[in-house]
Amino acid sequence: MFKSYHKLFISSVLVVAGTSSTIFAAQSSVSNTYDNGKRVIDGGVTYPVTNSKTASYHINEETLKGGYAYGKKATENEIKAWDIDVMPDGTGLPEGKGTVEEGDELYEAKCVSCHGDFGSGSGSYPALAKGNAEEGVATLKNQRTKPDTDGPIRVFGTYWPQASTLWWYIKTGMPHAAPMSLTDDEVYALSAYMLSINEMTIDGEELDDEYELDREKFLKIKMPNKDGFVPNIDGPKGTDNMRDYMSNPKNYGNGTRCMKNCFEGEPILAKIQTEIKEFSPPLSTVRELPKVDASAAPASEGAKIYEASCAVCHATDAMGAPAMGDKKAWEAVLKKGIDSVYKNAIGGINAMPPKGGNANLTDDQLKATVDFMIDQSK
Amino acid sequence: MNKITNLSKNDLANAQETAEQSSRRDFFRKTAAYSVSALAAASILSPVKVNAGDDPAIIEEQPWATSLGDPVTKNQYGVPSAYEHNNIRRTSELLSSGNWQASISMCPIHESEGIITPNGLFFNRVHGGVAHIDPNKHRLMIHGLVEKPIVLTMEQLKRYPSVTRIHFIECPANGGPEWRGPQFNSLQFSKGMMSSAQWTGVYIKTILKDLGLKPEALWMLAEGGDSSHMGRTVPIDKVLDDAMIVWGQNGEALRPEQGYPIRLLLPGWEGNLCVKWLCRLEFASEPFYAKEETAKYTVLKPDGKAIQHFYPLEVNSVITNPCPEKPWTDLKKGDLVEISGLAWSGQGTIEGVDISFDGGKNWVEASLEGLVLPKSWTRFSYMYKYEGKSLLLSSRARDDAGFIQPSVKVEREVMGVESVYHRNAIATWEVTEKGEVNNVQVLS
Repeated sequence: MFKSYHKLFISSVLVVAGTSSTIFAAQSSVSNTYDNGKRVIDGGVTYPVTNSKTASYHINEETLKGGYAYGKKATENEIKAWDIDVMPDGTGLPEGKGTVEEGDELYEAKCVSCHGDFGSGSGSYPALAKGNAEEGVATLKNQRTKPDTDGPIRVFGTYWPQASTLWWYIKTGMPHAAPMSLTDDEVYALSAYMLSINEMTIDGEELDDEYELDREKFLKIKMPNKDGFVPNIDGPKGTDNMRDYMSNPKNYGNGTRCMKNCFEGEPILAKIQTEIKEFSPPLSTVRELPKVDASAAPASEGAKIYEASCAVCHATDAMGAPAMGDKKAWEAVLKKGIDSVYKNAIGGINAMPPKGGNANLTDDQLKATVDFMIDQSK
Repeated sequence: MNKITNLSKNDLANAQETAEQSSRRDFFRKTAAYSVSALAAASILSPVKVNAGDDPAIIEEQPWATSLGDPVTKNQYGVPSAYEHNNIRRTSELLSSGNWQASISMCPIHESEGIITPNGLFFNRVHGGVAHIDPNKHRLMIHGLVEKPIVLTMEQLKRYPSVTRIHFIECPANGGPEWRGPQFNSLQFSKGMMSSAQWTGVYIKTILKDLGLKPEALWMLAEGGDSSHMGRTVPIDKVLDDAMIVWGQNGEALRPEQGYPIRLLLPGWEGNLCVKWLCRLEFASEPFYAKEETAKYTVLKPDGKAIQHFYPLEVNSVITNPCPEKPWTDLKKGDLVEISGLAWSGQGTIEGVDISFDGGKNWVEASLEGLVLPKSWTRFSYMYKYEGKSLLLSSRARDDAGFIQPSVKVEREVMGVESVYHRNAIATWEVTEKGEVNNVQVLS
């Protein structure tokens, strides 16, 4: 049951009553509205500053009055350098262009190792497409309440409400091990490829290999699930809509304080069906001295760099890189000769960026790391 | 001194090593002399026989009681006892997006005491690995719909008057793998995507006082300076209420895992919104639609619509003693035992917690324990006489905003089972007749 809020304002009455209850009242000052009279935006409460306290915390009210002149004015150039977000109306989206075919080539070089063929996903890396986006939206009503049923498809085409998110995320977050390394044209090409594998259209036009995406066309993309989200946060009423939605707990569930005979009969129990035990390290609450491997040598510089900069791709072969400890894979790499391996590590090869994306490493450090990895893979 | 003195060669070596670390000759001389006399004493004392029923831990002298400990020069940043090495964060490949740089480590809340998590045990969720930022090269930019866009160095930021507050941070996916039923027989993995600390920083409203925030500003983008460049959109109402930029965590600088040198703290709201390695705040009239508030961190309901900007963490609780990792297998019938746990709400202050022994059919009220603070972990306690019977042990918290935890049934009726995030249904442990504890869900 959602309680009425009249009790929240009892405190101010008690202040008038005075004596010991005054102290309690000041400590429990709590309100479901802000100073401006608006309902608290998350449906919860706020703790207004009363008698130099907010809830149980004392506060120096003088500190809240402003008058500080710290820092320097941000220059236009500084803001331009850091303002990397891209908004649905095109704010922050630069000019540029790229075709589906160019995107396909980039995808094969820089993305396929994690995201699989045509965005099908690999391992626990996310899939980017699962069939036709428009048709996939219907699956969002799927609920896996029975075993072996299909769940909702939540990929870019079927789920995301805005295309701007795609451009922003590819530009600033991808490839995962080398973010901010793609040019604007490359991001347009990869975006075009994403639209094509999700079987999406722009202005009714399918995206074949020759299709060239640019800023103007990008802003015409209509996401199939654009209206699939509540509350509506756009426009001048955006935050008020959020406030209204969160103020009604029927939208997300609330309990009741039943104390006796709260349901009929014996409780219906769900027990663990297939227990997940893949924990690292295994669970233990034993108080004993750790077992120390006295033979373990201290980590070399190569080992440390490997852990910090290389393991993300080379720990397994999931990303197409030769895996640490994979004897055959490294024998194949070494056929080109050690100098060529050093050169590739420093200059980059295939999906691997120069120096594995860590430009701060010296050539000697790279060589030491390659030596370490080869040594561990014999 | 009737105890058995077992001064081994090792202990003598330790004492000598202690002495060698000192450069002061007189100290060396005294220590050496002391060690020799201790050794001499050991050979003189006659051992006491251990009788049946005697505890050897009492009768036998222990090495730490008969030789010197570490000098104060060791561990200039202290570490826990070596015996506590199992009290650690843990990981599971199932909770990773492909690699350990886009993953989460779980807090050992079954070992947590009170309402503060030690900094080294705080759960850690990262999207592009843990960045190691040089604070001298880090800046905070505040721009967009403000009259005066500014850039602050870390020293300048810390010049603002600070406030210190105790708040939990919780990933909204905490408990999320169990929407369709229990999966982990572990408190650490079923509820360990949260931790709590005392944070020190500045209210953003304090900084904004002098920047001329424009009336049309409804949203704030917060962005991290790490490789994930993660951004999140925050409504201005929260920014002007209790949002903070924090640099202190339990009396010291933030750990790198928590966003050193600074992170955003939105008390009671999704952990993901509390952007780590914070470098930029931009004010705008429209929301930004960042990837982590559209593709992820949205809550899909059975009608196919998803809740976006579902930001506060609803009232929640879990019994931490007993739990699968801390069972009652050592108890005897008739033992009086404390049932205790954690309750928390991101929408207010915990008002009370009820306990059930029969899976939620009947309830009794527990006591709150210790500090009761807004948007904070709150301890609860109930004294129980153990009878060796099987139980279904549940807790149900409520807050001063009027919210109370729903049953699994009620929550599923509204949210279905595909939400991933924001699961706050009543949690239940099955206690067997032997005192073992299992993770179950009551569907009644």
